[in-house]
Amino acid sequence: MIVVLAIDALEYTLVEEFNCKNLKQRFYGKTNIKEFSEPKTMVLWSSFMTGKNMEKEIVARGDKEMWNTELDMEDTFFRSFKNPKIIDLPGFSYIKEQHEQERRMLKYYFDAQSEEEKKNIRTEYNNLAFLHHRRIKQEFSTALQGDYDFVLGYFSVADVIGHLNFGNGSMMKLIYRDLDEIAGTINHTLIVLSDHGMERVGIFGDHSNYGFWSTDLKDLGNPKITDFADMIKEIPEVN
Amino acid sequence: MNNENLKFVIVGHVDHGKSTLIGRLLYDTGSLPEGKIEEIKQICESLGREIEFGYVMDHLEEERDQGITIDTAQTFFNTEKRNYVIIDAPGHVEFVKNMISGASQAEAAVLIVDVEEGVREQTKRHAYILGMLGLSQVIVVVNKMDLINYDQKRFESVKKDILKFLLDISIKPSYVIPISAKKGDFIANKISKMNWYDGPTLLEALDIFKTKESANYKPLRFVVQDIYNFDKRIIVGRVESGVIKKGDKIKILPSGEETRVKSIEEYLKNVTEAEAGKSIGITTEDKLFIDRGNVVIHNGDMPAVTDRIMANVFWMDRTPFKIGERLMFRCSTQEVSCEVEKINRVINSSTLELIAEDATEIKNREVANIVIRTDKPVVVENFNKIEELGRFVLGREDTCAGGIITEPEQ
Repeated sequence: MIVVLAIDALEYTLVEEFNCKNLKQRFYGKTNIKEFSEPKTMVLWSSFMTGKNMEKEIVARGDKEMWNTELDMEDTFFRSFKNPKIIDLPGFSYIKEQHEQERRMLKYYFDAQSEEEKKNIRTEYNNLAFLHHRRIKQEFSTALQGDYDFVLGYFSVADVIGHLNFGNGSMMKLIYRDLDEIAGTINHTLIVLSDHGMERVGIFGDHSNYGFWSTDLKDLGNPKITDFADMIKEIPEVN
Repeated sequence: MNNENLKFVIVGHVDHGKSTLIGRLLYDTGSLPEGKIEEIKQICESLGREIEFGYVMDHLEEERDQGITIDTAQTFFNTEKRNYVIIDAPGHVEFVKNMISGASQAEAAVLIVDVEEGVREQTKRHAYILGMLGLSQVIVVVNKMDLINYDQKRFESVKKDILKFLLDISIKPSYVIPISAKKGDFIANKISKMNWYDGPTLLEALDIFKTKESANYKPLRFVVQDIYNFDKRIIVGRVESGVIKKGDKIKILPSGEETRVKSIEEYLKNVTEAEAGKSIGITTEDKLFIDRGNVVIHNGDMPAVTDRIMANVFWMDRTPFKIGERLMFRCSTQEVSCEVEKINRVINSSTLELIAEDATEIKNREVANIVIRTDKPVVVENFNKIEELGRFVLGREDTCAGGIITEPEQ
């Protein structure tokens, strides 16, 4: 089984700072996403699974519609597997309602006038994101026991929580520890990949212009996110 | 409770539960800032995981990084008997540096060992450093007993291993206590699952330790840091031991010149004496040539003024030391160029194996007994007599070794 731990907004500098050994594996580094004008989640994950730059196509759908992107298996490298399991990946098996609600609440937060209102929305927003994280964790854990030859688990918690709480170091540290422990439970060929990282803007977080990768297989240097489709297909277990 | 503080350090292998133990000690003694534990508990629950007390330390470190908490390098808690200060020692290099520089002098140590993993190389190395630094008040805690279902047999086996090693380096721990820092077993509270153990809890054991005798009772050692020439000439320094008073007859070392203290100068204070630990200024009745690194003493109990020192050093630089290389010798404010005349023996600090006698090099993490020749005479002491002038560091650009003086003169 080949496993991809797809973590939205996993920030290289925090993986280093918190010394997340399981997330780092033997080889790790930053991905190069400079070819994209903006580090947009949907663009980057779509480009990852198709192995080509999808920015033009995705952005053309407009800010709202782009979240409805649902690529066909045949357009992705997942087709190389007999029995793949893809959990919650933007542009493929994304649980739209959940993420729509998160985006809606984020907007409410920034529209809210009073501090009290902001505080309540933040709590509700965090709870929503954490609840989803627990569900995905469970689904991912079950998938790892299943009869799949490829499992991809997409974890959005670092991004969703990070947007409103990136300045809360302890909260982020606990999230990174949790993600690190998830990585530590995987006893298969593992690739950890993020679309982009995150940088601090006061208490908030915004996307940084590089992603994170790690593997035990070989040193990939400073790969592009579009390089992973071919790289994964070339892993001997696939053939 | 009395007002005394006991400073102790927790050492041991990196994953054996040091942070969890500190977090648990703070929690069980009610020393955590209000609301902190609840906040961490809530995040842990949100992530679907159990709270671990190691997170408490992470949280406090985070606050320290943000400047919210003033100082968590020294963490405080108290029992009914007294106050405790846990000195943060992230690794053995930091520990040695802190201890040698005098920045944080531990009076006792807790050596933590994971019952599943047993005694590891780092455990031994840390224990060796404790012995080298003369820390005799030591408790061993065998942690994570919950993971082995509180099995007495396994505990006894780990206890036997660690006691054997400690015996070899002449450390006799006061207690070896089975604990679970995670569950809080035998930290503040006893539990029935280990009724085969009838010793004290960790807090009870700590309460039995003695605080260090005040350095006020030792001979005067006022180490000069600088000379300020204002309307009067003020000799600024730190009283490392003893008490200095206005009117005292004093001797300046290494020159040996004598005079009397005309006044004690403390910023915005009118004082006539200063005790150990104080950074003050003095003026003297006679104008003498005094320089940084000089030591002011009372007549009588003389330290050694020598250019030849026998010492034990812990090498902590990746680049090995080779005979012939020149180093800086730093002891208190004294700083002088030196060479190592002889490396009597080199020891592996983890296995205690003798690596070489009459050696020519010392590698990273090795301990050596050496003879140092300084370019100029320095004022030093046997570490067991006056620690403050008995410890030193050797440096290239950065500190590369820490040591204690075993024989000031040969």
